[in-house]
Amino acid sequence: MPQEILRISDVDKSYDGVRALRGAGFSLLAGEVHALMGENGAGKSTLSKIIAGAVRADRGSLLIDGRVVTVNGPLDAQKLGISIIYQELDLFPNLTVAENMAIANHQFAEGGRVRFAELDRFAERFLKQVGLSISPRRPVASLSIGEMQLVAIARALSMNARIIIMDEPTSSLFDDSVERLFRLISDLKSKGVAIIYVSHKMDEIFRICDRVTVMRDGSTVGMRAIAEITPAELIRMMVGREWKARERPVRQTGDALLAVSGLTTRKLRDVSFEVRKGEVLGIAGLVGAGRSSLGAALIGLDKWKRGQMTLHGRPARPDSVRKAFKLGLRLLPEDRKLQGLMMQMSVLENCTIADLGQLAPDGVVRRRREVSAVQPLFLHLTLKAASLRAPVGTLSGGNQQKVLFARCLLANPEVLFLDDPTRGIDVGAKEDIYAIIERLAEQGKGVIFVSSELPELLRCCDRILVMREGEITARFDAATATQEDIMTFATNPVSSGEFV
Amino acid sequence: MTAIPKRASFFWGKSAGERRDVSLSLAALIAICLLAIAISPTAFDGSRIFLELGNLTDILRQVSIIGIISLAMTFVILTGGIDLSVGSILALSTSVVALVLTHWNPGGAQPFVIAVAMLAALAVSTAAGAFQGAVIALFEVQPFVVTLAGMIGIRGLAKWLSNNANIDIGFGRDVASTFAGIFRGKSVIIGCYIGLALIFGLLLSWTVFGRHVRATGDNERASRYAGLPIRRIKVLVYALSGLLSGVAGILYAAENHQGNPNSGIAYELDAIAAVVIGGTRLSGGKGTILGTIVGTLMIGVLTNMLRLNNVDSNVEMMVKAVIIILAVAVQRQGRVAQ
Repeated sequence: MPQEILRISDVDKSYDGVRALRGAGFSLLAGEVHALMGENGAGKSTLSKIIAGAVRADRGSLLIDGRVVTVNGPLDAQKLGISIIYQELDLFPNLTVAENMAIANHQFAEGGRVRFAELDRFAERFLKQVGLSISPRRPVASLSIGEMQLVAIARALSMNARIIIMDEPTSSLFDDSVERLFRLISDLKSKGVAIIYVSHKMDEIFRICDRVTVMRDGSTVGMRAIAEITPAELIRMMVGREWKARERPVRQTGDALLAVSGLTTRKLRDVSFEVRKGEVLGIAGLVGAGRSSLGAALIGLDKWKRGQMTLHGRPARPDSVRKAFKLGLRLLPEDRKLQGLMMQMSVLENCTIADLGQLAPDGVVRRRREVSAVQPLFLHLTLKAASLRAPVGTLSGGNQQKVLFARCLLANPEVLFLDDPTRGIDVGAKEDIYAIIERLAEQGKGVIFVSSELPELLRCCDRILVMREGEITARFDAATATQEDIMTFATNPVSSGEFV
Repeated sequence: MTAIPKRASFFWGKSAGERRDVSLSLAALIAICLLAIAISPTAFDGSRIFLELGNLTDILRQVSIIGIISLAMTFVILTGGIDLSVGSILALSTSVVALVLTHWNPGGAQPFVIAVAMLAALAVSTAAGAFQGAVIALFEVQPFVVTLAGMIGIRGLAKWLSNNANIDIGFGRDVASTFAGIFRGKSVIIGCYIGLALIFGLLLSWTVFGRHVRATGDNERASRYAGLPIRRIKVLVYALSGLLSGVAGILYAAENHQGNPNSGIAYELDAIAAVVIGGTRLSGGKGTILGTIVGTLMIGVLTNMLRLNNVDSNVEMMVKAVIIILAVAVQRQGRVAQ
């Protein structure tokens, strides 16, 4: 039996009187990959942050190698051999890759002189380990999200960590990078490094993890060996109720709703497609393949160089966001924090912000009217919010995403462009979102559904377009397509095996 | 499932965090008032001079000009911007109103001339603000840089218009004197402040525009995705800032019986201080008009307290500095949990 290297127990934590953790606990053995699972808001992130020293617990004890320790900050945790890779990458965009790896690294003494050549060598060693062949002198802002993710992992490695916490590490990686990451994880494991793996992706957990701890409502529900549990049991532990995966719906699609031909922008080349009434059109592709650029063009954020669009057969052109909204187009953006939510504003304000013109034609906002417009949507979206007045930043990821859905649906649009709506949210919330998409299709709306997870595209969509480098490379019927088919057209044939 | 929220309380802020910030500022204001009462010198009959009606209204009059400027400054800061040009616009406004009254008198009945002079000052001030807003919105230059340039350039304009001389408004029976007579009245000045505070409080908490202002400052990129007219919002807040600096200029000219191109120096800093003490975040998105009013009053009461006790005015500045840091630090502490 390997030695227990970390044990945290009886942890309580409240934010502004809202309890995030209630007697939570967790234990980790040397050299194991231990999954931490739970629905959004179950407390996984808070517990991870407490272990990593980023958040201080109200109560609780932390044992490292059987000894009680106090962690007063991330540097303390680092010295104990703990490092964390956040889902929202905490890199400094204007610093270089090497600088990012050295900064806040206890091996580089503060106030010391920087020797850049040494720094480069240091960085290169760990970049190689994660299989990233980029110059350590490149500023992080110039990297793709996938590359940033790998830099963050390299940074964690460079801190000589014995315990690495990975919060949704694959949420912005595509298949071969994921494979590389898994190889790296098993490599680390054999060296005795323990990994806390926070993820919602069931297949990953069953592939790479040894044990799993499930959290619900701020408490630890239980711990199991992966070999002794089925996915269905695991999901039941997480949601605390019986869970049944939905079948692929059979749908009748109607007349053409939106047709785009020859769309060319700064980032798109000659994109043509159509969406029918009641159809869910999937878009697959690597990060940076132009999926989000397509959304930006449809919603009037990116300028059209060439191309036509028709809605109900009539020519239409979204020159501005306002215009696109008037045409009945709405976008759910890829990054809910950067492009979606106003974090300091309330749930209600976030829901109505795009449609105040309709809700308050005289310019005076009436709260009662806002509430009555939003409340039916909340029931629809199974959105739980303690209060409409709560700042949206205090909600879990899945609920934040539902707030954005509410914003999109408030004006009852005809065409929805959903840019990776299930990114970084838990199983239960994902199912809710699939159900929402199904219902939208039933109502005869045209849904364009972008995702990095092929299984969900295959399950939810009627047809799937594959994009690569700003072009559409393939079109599939979702009923007959396979993941392999799609991947072939999503990756670059010349340099396949490269990273996103 | 979802609790039906209570009615939005006027001025009070929309979120729990905002209300906590305002409550903190209010508590601090009350504490300072209690201290002022405690250490106030007493009159012959043993009553506290601080509490005399005349003294209390003096405080209000003294804070009114900065108070008015800081109302619009709250909007600017809420969008994530800053307006350093308010002092210069005030100077421009004093000069324009005095020039129209004394040199460019358009003729006609006194009320008409006064109205023309005031409208001219307000129009010029608003235009100056709107122009800066347009540069910020269209060329995406940082507000700090644009309004820093504005602060220099508009001061230059005020000096050029007035030949860098004070334009005196007399005490006689001419139109200029009548103007000063009306607008230097305590009740008029305080009335202006209270009226504008009500209007701006309503504007922020009850209108679409106010909501848009906060959204822009909270997350400009998300606001663009949500289709908000960001450029128009920015031009408008700087125009409002110009407008209220113009109003402050008119009151200043009346109170001091002159148009003064060198007036209003460092007023932007006092206004920003009032806004920040009131709990508005310099990064934008969060803040209230009530907070700003409380911040303004805090500075006013503090100044009054120190002056009643004959504290050296240089010491007064040092005390102010401490209060600014304290106020913001306390609010900051309350937010660390988030």
